[in-house]
Amino acid sequence: MTTLVAEPIGYRSMTEPRRGSDLDALLRRVARRDADAFAALYDQTSSRVYGLVTRVLRDSGYSEETTQEIYLEVWRTAEAYDSARGSALSWLMTIAHRRAVDRVRAEQAAGQRESRYGAATVDRAVDLVADSAIAADERRRVAACLDGLTDVQRQCIDLAYYGGLTYAEVSQRLSANLSTIKSRMRDALRGLRNCLGAS
Amino acid sequence: MTGPTEFELLGLATPYALNAISDTEHAAIDRQLAAAPAAVAQAFRDEVRAVRETMAVISATTAAEPPARLRTAVLTAVQPEIERRSRWRTALLAAAAAIVVGLAAFGAGIALRPSSAPTMTEQIMAAPDVRTVSRQLAGGTATVVFSRDMNAGVLVMNNVPPPSQGTVYQMWLLDDKRPISAGTMNTAAVAPSTTAMLNKLGTSSALAFTVEPGNGSPQPTGKIFAELPLT
Repeated sequence: MTTLVAEPIGYRSMTEPRRGSDLDALLRRVARRDADAFAALYDQTSSRVYGLVTRVLRDSGYSEETTQEIYLEVWRTAEAYDSARGSALSWLMTIAHRRAVDRVRAEQAAGQRESRYGAATVDRAVDLVADSAIAADERRRVAACLDGLTDVQRQCIDLAYYGGLTYAEVSQRLSANLSTIKSRMRDALRGLRNCLGAS
Repeated sequence: MTGPTEFELLGLATPYALNAISDTEHAAIDRQLAAAPAAVAQAFRDEVRAVRETMAVISATTAAEPPARLRTAVLTAVQPEIERRSRWRTALLAAAAAIVVGLAAFGAGIALRPSSAPTMTEQIMAAPDVRTVSRQLAGGTATVVFSRDMNAGVLVMNNVPPPSQGTVYQMWLLDDKRPISAGTMNTAAVAPSTTAMLNKLGTSSALAFTVEPGNGSPQPTGKIFAELPLT
């Protein structure tokens, strides 16, 4: 039987150490209302945040508004960040993803979802831009890990993480039972984690 | 010991970490976690953390450069909170003075209070329902940061060109009745970066801009050239 308990792994090894500690230090300064640190944090992370939000919302106007809300939340709540509980990047991207998903679901509740988000499959982003803040080799390595997932695993991640569907909605969409979807999600994440940790 | 309920709970850690859970189920999971044995709750948290760290690394593959105006809007939006910095105070007073000069007397909905503006702005920023909306405005950008709970908002305009001589930009709060003037800005009032308080949002659903002759009009006579939804 598969254990569900996560193996302790070196999170720091997955991100560049210099970058990780930089973001830690910047967030601590942002918590003290340091505007220069906030600007530096924005410059180092905005392409990741905006890129993820755009991928989820698929609308540049909504994405700009949501990205603004994300950074306002970061400014207001930076003192809640605790480096003992996770990396600064993970804290930030969790806020970003939750806000993007909240926005998608609000639009869905407003009845606009089918026109904007109705696509059954979510294409991989193709309009990536060269970004000096993220090394090209890191991007290649991470993309290779995503490519290593099985098709059904990647479909689950696309629909849930990038499409904003709940696992129950994914199960309906794919006509698969709930436990199958949960297993695919867990296996997908375990595969990614192993791949990123090993390389 | 891990029973069937705990096993079921741990199986939800990945969807939970991916935000792939409905709000209702999210709350139910939080209640179960609070009641679960410490080791189970810890295992759940470890899995959530591992998933979120992994997806943070994966964000390298979706990265996309935001437009430059977004940087200006984000950094400007937090400026009002840095009121203790003399640099900011100077800029605020200069901008406020410029707007006060241009404000027409009948601007019922808008009141500029340089001395209390940071406090109100802070309250808006701290409100749980704070929202932002941005639109292109005559080649520049208008952003409203607002809170329905506070019944107030902050308008920030960047790189908006001033209106022609002899006309003003007039702001209107729109609801299902007639538009309510939220003040005017003349040529002198529109600086490269301009902020203004919107003190009574009421039941308005949008902030609209028109060009009006002279010092403004009791009701809009010009065509609405920009509209920011306040919803």
